[in-house]
Amino acid sequence: MIFWEIAKRNIRIHMLRSTLAMLGIVIGVVAIASMGILGNSMVATVSESLKSVGDSVIVTPYSGGGGGMGPGGGGGGSSSASLKITDQNFQQIKRVAAPNVAIPVYSTSDHMKIGVGSDDIVATMYALPTDNVPDIMKLQAGDYNNGNSGCLVGSTFAKDHDLKVGSRISIGTNGSKGTLRVTGIIEERGMSFDISTDNALVVTPEWFENTYDRNKDYDEVVVKVKEGDTATVKTNIEKQLNKHKDNKVVSVTDSKATLASIYSTFGTVTTFVTAIGGISMIVAGVSIFNIMMMSVNERIKEIGIMRSIGTQKREVMSMFIYEAAIIGVIGSIIGGIFSVLAGYVVSALMLGTTKYLFTMANALSVGEGICFGIVICLACGIYPARQAANLNPIDALRHE
Amino acid sequence: MEPVIQFEDVVKIYPLKAGDVTALNHISFEVERGEFISIMGPSGSGKSTLLNLMGCLDSPTSGGIFISGIGIRAMNDMELTNLRRDRIGFIFQYFNLFPLLNVIENVNFPQILKSGKDVNPDKAKEVLHAVQLEEQFYSHTPTELSGGQQQRVAVARALINDPDILLCDEPTGNLDSKTGASIMDLMTELNRKGATIICVTHDPTVAKYSDRTIRIVDGGIAS
Repeated sequence: MIFWEIAKRNIRIHMLRSTLAMLGIVIGVVAIASMGILGNSMVATVSESLKSVGDSVIVTPYSGGGGGMGPGGGGGGSSSASLKITDQNFQQIKRVAAPNVAIPVYSTSDHMKIGVGSDDIVATMYALPTDNVPDIMKLQAGDYNNGNSGCLVGSTFAKDHDLKVGSRISIGTNGSKGTLRVTGIIEERGMSFDISTDNALVVTPEWFENTYDRNKDYDEVVVKVKEGDTATVKTNIEKQLNKHKDNKVVSVTDSKATLASIYSTFGTVTTFVTAIGGISMIVAGVSIFNIMMMSVNERIKEIGIMRSIGTQKREVMSMFIYEAAIIGVIGSIIGGIFSVLAGYVVSALMLGTTKYLFTMANALSVGEGICFGIVICLACGIYPARQAANLNPIDALRHE
Repeated sequence: MEPVIQFEDVVKIYPLKAGDVTALNHISFEVERGEFISIMGPSGSGKSTLLNLMGCLDSPTSGGIFISGIGIRAMNDMELTNLRRDRIGFIFQYFNLFPLLNVIENVNFPQILKSGKDVNPDKAKEVLHAVQLEEQFYSHTPTELSGGQQQRVAVARALINDPDILLCDEPTGNLDSKTGASIMDLMTELNRKGATIICVTHDPTVAKYSDRTIRIVDGGIAS
């Protein structure tokens, strides 16, 4: 169509001006889409780290505060030394949670030494029944059956201290609490709500009870929910153990609800940073509006001629809309391509990984950025186009 | 035969802040099909207003204007635009070609507007041949043509939709005398072939080509 051709040629003869306007749109799309990619990649990274804990309910002694993460999540049990889950409470939890598995967990931190002459370090230790270990973690080396003086070590801990299956660790100051032999290395689990094993040791309950003089007074109970949903299990445990509002016994954390809350927070942060990127798009829109108004002002006489020889208002309008659309579509597509590159760089720099770059969520972010760029261009082209279409043909013809 | 243009007691008043200005005051005349008419008058006499009304670019304050028997007073903008496209051909003093389009595209423009799609250039070539523009210039843009050549393209553009009327506003005003004469010869030729031509001009030389001259003075017809 002739108006499409005129729009194209007008862009071509004003190449520098059109290119600058396109550049604005490119920057706007890159800002929006790359922020979206960063947000999505952050969510994907955290999801990857937390995926193993999405089906857990964590029960900790009620401390009078807001509940939440127990000693496992905090990485140490010393702060809540006086608050424990009794065996009677554990049995109640076990009954309520059935047929799901309820795992009693001891936890503490202690001094230890690896090898002769090594530095004294402090690390977290968990103790849970050997039969239940596979319910929570997988091993990358060795065996679950760690015996009474055997232990499992987290992958990061093993790597940092050069531990292998068979290595020995002296527990307590100057080895006062005996020596443990590494029987297995735990696969990396990332962040978790139940127990964080990457930098910790896992020992048997028997060894723990003997060493730390504990007797079925647990620091937390982890329920692995395989049947039913975590929210129902959580409610049932609360109903059973916290019968009296003024005398609560346990705090119960539903890992799925906590995850949902984390994702929601990430979603809000992503929206916020994308909105900041949107400001640059608005600036680009103002630039498009400006060049379209210039284009209309430069072509008033031409518009007058068109109208006088029988061009309808909508046809004049379409010519300017086409111009805005060409700038918008080309600028937005180039912006979309660059935003993938920018997303790659930002993800690599800020998250240290680019493995979440080519996901559906990121494709949607790029698509949204491109669509937003095109919509902004069209929106900013409408007013100048209407101005052009509504010019009085006689006045336009007289214009010099 | 029905007049191609009919003005019946037409009044045109421009309401201005300083007071209303009466540009045309109870004007009545008719133009028959095939006539060649010139409209003359001093500056500010109302010639341009008359041209705008004949070209359906404006509406009268009162009175009736009929183009090929169609009253334009009650027409909306879209209908007036279609009337201009289908029945009126404009030729301007400054040629007013589209700088982004080549000769063929300029001439085809009104035809594309009428058909709503791209059209075969055959008719444009035919009309350009009729206005005696050599084929070597068909792919040129207006800035690559002389004034006389540009005006020939403008005439071809005005003729492409076979209009009832050719409205010319000082068609030789921007040309040297020799080129102006050749353009007026072309107009005469077109008129001889049946075109109705109305020429607004200051130039008595141009008026000599016409069958009849309407003289406007102070918004009224003097003779």
